[in-house]
Amino acid sequence: MKRSIGTRQEIEDASSNIAIIAKNIHKSFRLPTEQAFGLKQAIFNRLRGIKGYKEQKVLRGIDLEIKKGEFVGIIGRNGSGKSTLLKILAGTYYPEKGEITINGTLVPFIELGVGFNPELTGRENVYLNGALLGFSNEEMDAMYDDIWDFAELKDFQDQKLKNYSSGMQVRLAFSIAIRARGDILLLDEVLAVGDAAFQEKCNNYFADLKDKKQTVILVTHSMENVRKFCNRAFLIENGKIIEEGDPKKVADAYTKLWQ
Amino acid sequence: MGIPRVLNRRNRILLKELTKTDFKLRYQGSVLGYLWALLRPLMMFAILYLVFVKLLRIGGDIPHYPVYLLCGTTMWSFFTECTSQGIQAIVNRGDLLRKISFPKYIVVVSATWTAVINMLINLVVIVLFALINGVTPSWSWFLVFLPIFELYLLSLGIAFFLGSINVKYRDITSIWEVLTQALFYAVPIIYPITMVAETSVTAAKIILLNPISQAIQDIRYLLITDQTITTWNYVGEQTFIWKFLPLFITLTLLAIGALVFRKRSKFFAEEV
Repeated sequence: MKRSIGTRQEIEDASSNIAIIAKNIHKSFRLPTEQAFGLKQAIFNRLRGIKGYKEQKVLRGIDLEIKKGEFVGIIGRNGSGKSTLLKILAGTYYPEKGEITINGTLVPFIELGVGFNPELTGRENVYLNGALLGFSNEEMDAMYDDIWDFAELKDFQDQKLKNYSSGMQVRLAFSIAIRARGDILLLDEVLAVGDAAFQEKCNNYFADLKDKKQTVILVTHSMENVRKFCNRAFLIENGKIIEEGDPKKVADAYTKLWQ
Repeated sequence: MGIPRVLNRRNRILLKELTKTDFKLRYQGSVLGYLWALLRPLMMFAILYLVFVKLLRIGGDIPHYPVYLLCGTTMWSFFTECTSQGIQAIVNRGDLLRKISFPKYIVVVSATWTAVINMLINLVVIVLFALINGVTPSWSWFLVFLPIFELYLLSLGIAFFLGSINVKYRDITSIWEVLTQALFYAVPIIYPITMVAETSVTAAKIILLNPISQAIQDIRYLLITDQTITTWNYVGEQTFIWKFLPLFITLTLLAIGALVFRKRSKFFAEEV
């Protein structure tokens, strides 16, 4: 039953040019094999001497080093472990083995609109979502109008979120998310939002991040974006990094996976 | 880790915003809205008052018994609301835990703060009731925050402990519901402790060793009448140390709860 845990530490070392170091990261999940789960099932399983779950290895020894100012892409097929890796870097999951050192503040966007609540108005959701990104009320007041301008949803700010279309919700979420300031940004598939016009805005945002030498880790399926924005890329397959380096080369390797 | 991270700026912002959201959502879509925070305990009080005071004629010898009763029901509601909301907090906020990394206790604490706000509003009502009922105001009223705080710590300890287990075994929510029903009768809320003492002094003493009873009786003592039997003036004439047992239970539960929570919280994101 005892589970081992790797280490994750956050430091502030301005003199170092390293943003993230991950060494030999392993992670497996326990997937319940029994249908029911609850106290009764747990006791039954104990009595019958079965574990009631199956170990699923997701990451098998990932090593990465990301320097400050790099725009890094992480690509891989569905289920390859890239999102798990991102969550471990973000600190929501603990690695089972290995060590991670994060140098500086890290802002994860595992998903847009975290904490969005359909029963609250657009305005209330903006403040809540902002708080989750670490902004105080006063800071949100200052950027409030810009957020709505960028989302082009000004007329809807006092409507409940449940009355927004899904595209509108994502646009609002994205508009808040891009306000986030941190030394390292973790982005998971947030490029694919909105219509063509809004896409354009998103692309500008990413180009801008790249120009400003912001450290970014981007998990994506879009090879176009990898080629366009990344300085470096990692290809993950079966929980291991199988290709790394030049984004064009890694993107080609990804396409070859199923050809 | 450690103290500085626990109360850093980001965590404070989160705590505040999550509490606000919880409070707003609780009464979302209801016509009377926040008024329910007041109405619910008042209605519970009205029912208990009708049944126990008017029909069964309990508590006749205690001065200001209606306020005494209201005080008990309000504090009981506070305890049950705090624990049940706290226990379910991690599961209810599972989406957040899976997506952003922050100290998990914030979710539990913010869930209990709605109960704290409700209780404080009701405390004002109790004070008004007390004044109408002819209780003489006194400086000792301000001391009620001590037993209230103790009751809060107890609830928090229970919420941390059971909330950690609830992530994996959702049965805890139902078990706790039944358990609180039983506990309700083990605490002198609707019946005065004197009634128990008449038949068995030992039973009354045991009841008063329950930290919930101790806190509620202390609150009544400070707020309503110094004729209230409390753990302090009733238990442990020979062995002084007994007087501190409820406080000891509270602090132990809080410590165990915090430790278990701290240990389990690393896996909440994947298990929830």
